[in-house]
Amino acid sequence: MTNFDPARQPPRKRRRRATWLDAVLAALCVCVVGYFVWRINSVLDYGWNWSTIWPFVLKTDPASGRWVPNLIVEGLFTTIRLALWGILLAGIIGTLMGLARTSRYLLLRLIADSYVMLIRNIPPVVFVFVFVFFIASQIMPALGIGDWVRAASPTMQWWLSILFGPPKLIDNFFLGLICLSVFSGAYVTEIVRAGIQSVNKAQIEAGDSLGMSRTDVLRFVVLPQALRTVLPPLAGQFIQLIKDSSLVSLVSIQELSFMAQDIQVATQRVFEVFVLVAVLYFVICFGLSQLFGVLERRAARAHR
Amino acid sequence: MSISRKLLGTLALVAGIVFLADTAAAQQDNLIDTIKKRGKIQVGFGSFLPWAIRDKQGNWVGFEIDVSTKLAKDMGVELDLMPTAWDGIVPSLIAGKFDVIIGGLSITPARQEQVDFTEPYSQSGLGIAASKQLASGLKYPDGYNDAKATFVCRRGTAACKTAEEKWPKATIRQFDDDAIAFQEVINGNAHAILSSEPKPTFFTLQNPDKLFKPTNENVTTTVEGFALRKGNPAAIAYFNDWIGKNKDWLKQRHTYWFKTRDWAANVPAS
Repeated sequence: MTNFDPARQPPRKRRRRATWLDAVLAALCVCVVGYFVWRINSVLDYGWNWSTIWPFVLKTDPASGRWVPNLIVEGLFTTIRLALWGILLAGIIGTLMGLARTSRYLLLRLIADSYVMLIRNIPPVVFVFVFVFFIASQIMPALGIGDWVRAASPTMQWWLSILFGPPKLIDNFFLGLICLSVFSGAYVTEIVRAGIQSVNKAQIEAGDSLGMSRTDVLRFVVLPQALRTVLPPLAGQFIQLIKDSSLVSLVSIQELSFMAQDIQVATQRVFEVFVLVAVLYFVICFGLSQLFGVLERRAARAHR
Repeated sequence: MSISRKLLGTLALVAGIVFLADTAAAQQDNLIDTIKKRGKIQVGFGSFLPWAIRDKQGNWVGFEIDVSTKLAKDMGVELDLMPTAWDGIVPSLIAGKFDVIIGGLSITPARQEQVDFTEPYSQSGLGIAASKQLASGLKYPDGYNDAKATFVCRRGTAACKTAEEKWPKATIRQFDDDAIAFQEVINGNAHAILSSEPKPTFFTLQNPDKLFKPTNENVTTTVEGFALRKGNPAAIAYFNDWIGKNKDWLKQRHTYWFKTRDWAANVPAS
């Protein structure tokens, strides 16, 4: 792997020097944004009032008088938990299914193909409803997660509540999590398949001719290269997953969007809540993009 | 070989689902017993002012919450409140996510095909609020029956149905959320909104230069009942009995939430 291929290089930081063109463009941007703000204010008849929604971010606990998280922060935590576990689960599902999709065995290929085709070709909202009402409502009681959690010891419960949220809502949380992971897993599957298939066939043959077993070829030759290729699209897919997590509010998973709607009803402050929620999603997604940027650069450094 | 194995797997899955569905159906037979044995009644509802809203501490308050709390207390069980997205509230009940909807669900023939209702425990009216900018020239009610007139309402509520029936020529736009629907009228993008009272009145009082009430009478009167999965006559009888015994209390609570603003101090909207 000594030949230099610019297409494989991650975005690198460039030296910045502002020119007069940049200044003109920046001024133009400011004008456009300013015009929109002015238009919004003149068209939209709305008395902005932020003070009613802050108590829903943090409230003072009447017992101790200290600041404690209220609905928005609780919803935000649920969204973050959904995102982290969802990325892990969708990653696992996607890797396994991606391997199955490139497998030599017809059965494995059939299973993975049906999975991807089924999920990719129905709209997300429909999928969420069908999955929750027809499939998950049968599986969840059978799993008995809620009962198991309620029977656990207090220390265990404390850990579980850190990892998965309040025990009372744990069934609800898993429902949303499984739904989201199965849905996103299909897209990850395609990314993983593309990554595996992007590895030059000659390299696999070279591995074979060295007498490596199939698993060894996969482990030492195919996957390390595939991983580097899939990092950028995978980052996009995981960011998509975080935003898609708002879909499960349709089935009453109490994450950020769901809480936001409750607060809109209670406060009647529609746009303040929208803006706040948008900012929070942006912060999470932007954070993840930055993290993947670091991972990409690190993967590139290991690329020798 | 591989195909037949896949077929077998699918069959096993279907069989499993049918089996689970069967056991779920068996549990429905005696809902009241199930609730008491569990020691917990699961109540589904949607967030709706002043039926069920969050107070400043993030707790649920409202007319429905009072009703559910008292019902649970009288049954001697714990109350498990399950806030549910309005669009999915009836499917959620049918899928067995909770025992009963106490959520201001008005009794309509279409809904009666899907679920069983108790006797009404509350009676409310649909009110109208209209945009001063667009609708002040329109004569109520016939002037609103025009393709140029736009009504807004919350999707899946009796309001949309009523607007369609009363003003068949008008354009109807449906929103997921009442607050956004009202905002459309305030912004002058729609002529009028139909929503359950007292909201149209409150909003008109809050936005006197933008909104007015073409009539102070209710457009229609609706009655609300607890909704249960079909085939629970014993539970319906049990709840009917409870509603009958608490008629006065229910009326007093209804007045408190719908006719007064005494509760407003704890609710951020005020």
